[in-house]
Amino acid sequence: MAEEPQYGIDPVTLEIIHGKLLAIVDEMGVVMQRTSMSPVIYEVLDFACGICTASAELVAQSNGITLFTGTFGTQLQSVIDAYAGDVHEGDIFVTNDPYYGGTHACDFAIIRPIFHEGDLLAWAVNVAHWVDVGGAVPGSLPPDATSIFQEGLRLSRLRLAVHDTLSPEILRIIRENVRLPDVAMGDLNAQIATVHIAEARLGEMLDRYGADVLREGFDALIDTAARRARAVIAALPDGSYRAQDVIDGDGVSDTPITVQVEVTISGESLAIDFTGCPPAAAGPINCGAGALHSAVKSVFKAMVAPHEPSNEGWFRPLTITAPRGTIFTAERPSPTGWYYEGSVHASELVWKALAPVLPQRFSAGSYSSLCVIYLSGHTPDGEEFIHIEPTHGGWGACSDGDGANAVISLTDGDTYNYSIELLEAKFPLRVRRYDFNTENGPGAGRYRGGYGVVRDYEVLVDGTTLTGSFGRNATAPWGIEGGFDGSANRFEVIEAATGRVTPYGRLGGRRLHRGDVVRIVTGGGGGWGPPDRRAPEAITADLRAELLSRDDARRLYGWQEAAQ
Amino acid sequence: MIRLATDVGGTFTDLLGYDEATGRIFTAKSLTTPDDQSEGVLDTLRLATGDGGLRPDQVGFFVHGGTTVINAITERKGVRTALVTTRGFRDVLEIGRGNRPDLYNLRFHSPRPYVERALRLEVAERIDASGAVHVPLNEADVARAAQVLRAERVEAVAILFLNSYANPVHEAACARLLTEALPGVTICASHEVSGLWREYERANTAVLNAYVKPIIARYFERLETRLIDNAVRCAHYAMLSNGGVSSFAQAVESPLSLVESGPSGAVAGAARIGEFLGEPNVLSFDVGGTTAKCSVIVDGRPRIFDDYRMEWSRISPGYPVQVPVVDIVEIGAGGGSIARVDDFGALTVGPDSAGANPGPVCYGLGGAEPTVTDAKLLTGIIDPDSFAGGKITLRIDDARRAMAALGKRLGFGVEDTAQAVVLLAEASMINALKLVTIQRGYDPRDFTLMVTGGMGPLFAARLGRELRVRRVVIPPHAGIFSAWGMLAAKPRADLRKTWFSLLSPDAIPPLEAQVAAMRQDALDYFGRDRPESVTHALALQMRYRGQEHSVTTLVPGTLDAANITQEFHAAHRTAYSFALPDAAIEITGIHLIATLDNPVIGSPSVVADGLTLEGARRGSRKVWGAAGDGWADAGVYARDLMPPDAAVPGPALIEEATSTTLVLGGQAAWRDAHGLLIVEEAGGTAQRKGND
Repeated sequence: MAEEPQYGIDPVTLEIIHGKLLAIVDEMGVVMQRTSMSPVIYEVLDFACGICTASAELVAQSNGITLFTGTFGTQLQSVIDAYAGDVHEGDIFVTNDPYYGGTHACDFAIIRPIFHEGDLLAWAVNVAHWVDVGGAVPGSLPPDATSIFQEGLRLSRLRLAVHDTLSPEILRIIRENVRLPDVAMGDLNAQIATVHIAEARLGEMLDRYGADVLREGFDALIDTAARRARAVIAALPDGSYRAQDVIDGDGVSDTPITVQVEVTISGESLAIDFTGCPPAAAGPINCGAGALHSAVKSVFKAMVAPHEPSNEGWFRPLTITAPRGTIFTAERPSPTGWYYEGSVHASELVWKALAPVLPQRFSAGSYSSLCVIYLSGHTPDGEEFIHIEPTHGGWGACSDGDGANAVISLTDGDTYNYSIELLEAKFPLRVRRYDFNTENGPGAGRYRGGYGVVRDYEVLVDGTTLTGSFGRNATAPWGIEGGFDGSANRFEVIEAATGRVTPYGRLGGRRLHRGDVVRIVTGGGGGWGPPDRRAPEAITADLRAELLSRDDARRLYGWQEAAQ
Repeated sequence: MIRLATDVGGTFTDLLGYDEATGRIFTAKSLTTPDDQSEGVLDTLRLATGDGGLRPDQVGFFVHGGTTVINAITERKGVRTALVTTRGFRDVLEIGRGNRPDLYNLRFHSPRPYVERALRLEVAERIDASGAVHVPLNEADVARAAQVLRAERVEAVAILFLNSYANPVHEAACARLLTEALPGVTICASHEVSGLWREYERANTAVLNAYVKPIIARYFERLETRLIDNAVRCAHYAMLSNGGVSSFAQAVESPLSLVESGPSGAVAGAARIGEFLGEPNVLSFDVGGTTAKCSVIVDGRPRIFDDYRMEWSRISPGYPVQVPVVDIVEIGAGGGSIARVDDFGALTVGPDSAGANPGPVCYGLGGAEPTVTDAKLLTGIIDPDSFAGGKITLRIDDARRAMAALGKRLGFGVEDTAQAVVLLAEASMINALKLVTIQRGYDPRDFTLMVTGGMGPLFAARLGRELRVRRVVIPPHAGIFSAWGMLAAKPRADLRKTWFSLLSPDAIPPLEAQVAAMRQDALDYFGRDRPESVTHALALQMRYRGQEHSVTTLVPGTLDAANITQEFHAAHRTAYSFALPDAAIEITGIHLIATLDNPVIGSPSVVADGLTLEGARRGSRKVWGAAGDGWADAGVYARDLMPPDAAVPGPALIEEATSTTLVLGGQAAWRDAHGLLIVEEAGGTAQRKGND
């Protein structure tokens, strides 16, 4: 064990300060949800709020999705590097640069330094997904983009406000370069409101506890988390664990992209090395180094402390190595719009390498991709509509039970599917089917993977356009310890006129006709353990539920029907 | 006439009676009988009639609340239930919403559905979003389903067809066919229990309703027979989750409406206490053994959840159901919350709880880890000799030993450790109460804080000070306040329907027609011919065009487009802090709250004759942390003997049979003419800041 630092702060005050910090980031989240005008923010919770120390270490964070796990640190550091010695009370910074700790251009970070009697005490940070930031297509995410310049406005580490006065020039640049300027200004104001709330609440804490106690509290919280994380790592067997996986196409071509990782546990620390991964792809599934760090941290967090609030301390035992310019460390001008389709593979590599080491925290491979489709066009009344939906899918089996059916992928979190009744009342679409994908099914095993879904949309107006980008469209989710692989994701168009069926993995755009059906099929997760060890009752239960056919039961499990 | 309430809780069943002629109060408490809760109810009745002197034939109003429904569901003790649904949608019930709130749990699973896949049967039929028939109901499919269900020996069948909220004709036809084909089987079509859209939530509602209906029908039948056998022959009412009551027969039809029966009694009571005080905005806080429950009453009305979810937590999506339930937020902090120091020196309080069994260390029932109750005992707030009316003698030495062991790991003495435990419990309550109000667009400073539950009054003063509420109120019988609140509830029906229209003058005539039809439904529900006996409140669900979420907007005035528009902008501003004055507005739903005019519990009045503060004083006790650090002398007073409006300065302890109220230094407390105990900052609560 590392030497335990001693703090003057008593454990009661520390715990109360901790509770208050969490209440502040919760309140920032509430303010964001209540004041944002974008469904992607108040419905999908595609934002995160946090407080960092003066030296850019996260102390408290709220998020509704995993995508933003600890992204603040690198982003904030890039601002600190750019403005060393030039940060003042009343400043607000803005940045959405994937090459400087950001994710994609749609994610805008608002950063506010908080001072106490002239000394920097902390930073309040808010990152939120804007519905449109300009670029080649509405929504700023062309699935076949080949450069960042098709993905909208990039504001790299700018000072947005001086003495609390927003720069009219920067606001004009934003307004003139996005498709929905009022919504953008609404979300910007909501973000600014959250960092002001953080400042006001920290001010109340300063009045009560003083700056010294607060600073000491921040350090103690971070150090305690670090000690806890080290204790978890120390209990794991030392060694190197490798994993390899395939990314199925980049949106421009279907060529498989092989990626790999080596995870080394040594004493109390854990090193993750992506050396050997290929250079950045032509298409937009690349991620920058900031997004890579977040992707790795989300799995590390799942391992060391899935239910504890996040702070930078948890990640102290973690080092990440990745050469520049790879698919996970893309640099200018590589596109990164669909970065989460790439970064989720970085998460899964680490997950795959560590699952056998710590089975009580991990499952086998899942359907992984957010499986997002866009259906857009005009209603019979001539009004424009756009339906954007991620699809739920099958997760991998666990070491002690079957995998989860139809839940959202790792990237998201508290994200709901769209109610069919709401959707049919709003869009010229009819859902014909929404049930488990039993055709391809999950990976067999002692414990089988969870089932994905099939969702059929009948298009009710001519000229509706379909766009989508599904990962794992060829390489199935991995099984573990003899469990079989699951099944791949795909979407397909079933033409009304001809009955012709065309399957897709990633699609830049296709116009559809009335009566055409878009079928979304998400994969089943990988299995855990050899199928011949599956309990007979579990096989019978799946047969009774009609999840498993008799043929498959015989083929996969050697099941034999009892003589009647 | 005597008004009588019984409330079945997890551990105890409470009885509270109020004689309107004499003002006399009857109370009784006995152990809950989990196998048949009506036995425990009868036990309390026998206690009250025996020693208590209650005459059952004088009872003119009987109301019953309890946990029968929620227990049957959470303990999975309902009947074998099936679901018949639209072809292609068999798995909607199991897929649910697919959200994963437990973000970093890579082994997360959605909650298990209440109907297994083999009993989820599909039939061909389809209604579209406008209510038009797209595919007619295939009756042969229904007949085949009936055959399977007969062979499977199901006892209840729920029916969920897509878009039945827009046109229930197929569900109704299917229900008819299944009723004929399956005699004795409970059939529940989703449109009978909810007129709202969202297929998964409506399916869950129908399934859970069907799942408990046969059990609840038998339960109420037994209870009714026993009451009549014991001379309680007046009308019998059931406490609903919406803050109102219904007849037993109505409750049996829609048992899911009883899901939060007990807590809803406390909310009905809070609204009534607000009326006594002339305070329309009440923050109600009830502290029990394991959790604390918080509810907001605005303009005299309890809020109804838009999306109530059973068994929801921060890491579980729970089971959403579409029944009207008062908006209650529960947090894991109560009297039994356990204090621990972990390997890294961090002190935590809750959410683990010692509950009632083994309970806190001081109960002497085997509890070994110190709890919040032990901390309150060791800081002098609880008197070990008069706890629970003197029925249990608390073992202060055991509590001290356990607290000392905890303190040793922190380097603290016993009292400092105990005070730390109290401070942490209070800090989590304060954070939760702030968030509950802020999330709903309110400021705690605009509220009166009403604190109940046996443990509540011990915390009330500091919560009030930290939240800077207008004042703190502790009603009489705080320990059994849910039962008291049930006596303040009226027969009530919440009729909710998904209904679309762009808001414009043209929308008003069809809206009026729809509302008139719902008013008629309310009259039919109450079995009344005369509309004068029913009071209505109308709320509309509305949104700006393009938005997903609707905001419930109370429309008190006339049904005209201008008035509705204005009310919506204001409601939207409260909920989301902005309004879009130029945007088009859509109506998505109608919520009619119908209340039958019925007398409720009156305001008690304190008889002042001969009462003096000196007479109420029982000496003093040393309390740790009541005024600055360390021990302070606190005057001890008997609440029942305090003369009206005579203020006691803090630090003080005000004792009653079921609880003790702590008053901090700098505060004053008095009993008002209704018998309510009020605590305010001596200089006015709103002006004060910081702790003592």
